[in-house]
Amino acid sequence: MSDEITGGCQCGAVRFRCAALGRASLCHCRMCQKAFGGFYGPLVTAKGLTWTRGEPARFQSSNVIRRGFCEKCGTPLTYEYEGGTEIAIGALDDPSLAAPVIQLNPADKLDFVAGLHALPWRPAGENPAFDAFMASVESYQHPDHDTETWPPEEKS
Amino acid sequence: MSLDNRPVYTGGCQCGAVRFRIEGALGDASVCHCRMCQKASGNFYLPLVSVHSARLDWTRAEPKRFRSSSHAWRGFCAECGTPLTYEAPDGVALAIAAFDHPEEIAPTVQWGLEGKLPYVDGVPGLPAHATLEDVEAEHFLRELKSYQHPDHDTESWPPEGDHE
Repeated sequence: MSDEITGGCQCGAVRFRCAALGRASLCHCRMCQKAFGGFYGPLVTAKGLTWTRGEPARFQSSNVIRRGFCEKCGTPLTYEYEGGTEIAIGALDDPSLAAPVIQLNPADKLDFVAGLHALPWRPAGENPAFDAFMASVESYQHPDHDTETWPPEEKS
Repeated sequence: MSLDNRPVYTGGCQCGAVRFRIEGALGDASVCHCRMCQKASGNFYLPLVSVHSARLDWTRAEPKRFRSSSHAWRGFCAECGTPLTYEAPDGVALAIAAFDHPEEIAPTVQWGLEGKLPYVDGVPGLPAHATLEDVEAEHFLRELKSYQHPDHDTESWPPEGDHE
């Protein structure tokens, strides 16, 4: 089990498995930015990809690319072209398996991306009201592993 | 700028089915590394800006929502999937990259450090190549025609006689 590479969307309606991961990259192009609602699109080549629960909806983002996403919760899932399918790294159950090795399309790179690591962060304990709010959150996100059924019966 | 000198921002999803307009000063801009923001956006972290006291109007359609926890809803485009909002009791935040000019909205704080991926801080140091130098993708990208909505409002979309 432990060497299986699995992942899926936030709500768990779409789940996948793949045999191996290829090159991990991030792309700064404006199309990846907008498709992901993020500063770049982090993608890794998925080899031997199978959909084990549901399947993504697709948007044809250009004449040569389709982008898959979960139609129930929106999670961006794939970048599909004639040469294969790449998976959104954040959708992997263990995204640390896919450390990016290359940046693509740096011409579109947002200037502040280079400085993010130096930004301050809010330590726990600084704001007791916020900490209490966070402690009261009950997550409805699918867990980071495969499940027999989802959502749990009592919640559905 | 609006007529009374308030800043105006516009944005929307990749396909253009959902568009928004903000009038007024935005609140805090941040990135959140928590595992829920990661999975919701398929990404390393989610960059969000608080609408705060500004006025938010959905000018074309509206996001679909997923209730991601007891306290939060996340909005996205039902047609193309673009993550658009994080909606909690303290207000609505929008995905910075969904704005037509994300370069105007620099984040100032990081949240969710417990979920931060070990390689994120190394991103700026990775080798970088223009798309057409990417040998794995080069030949077909030369023929690429984008179907993404442009980074400004449009009267109608998609253009008639286009791809679909």
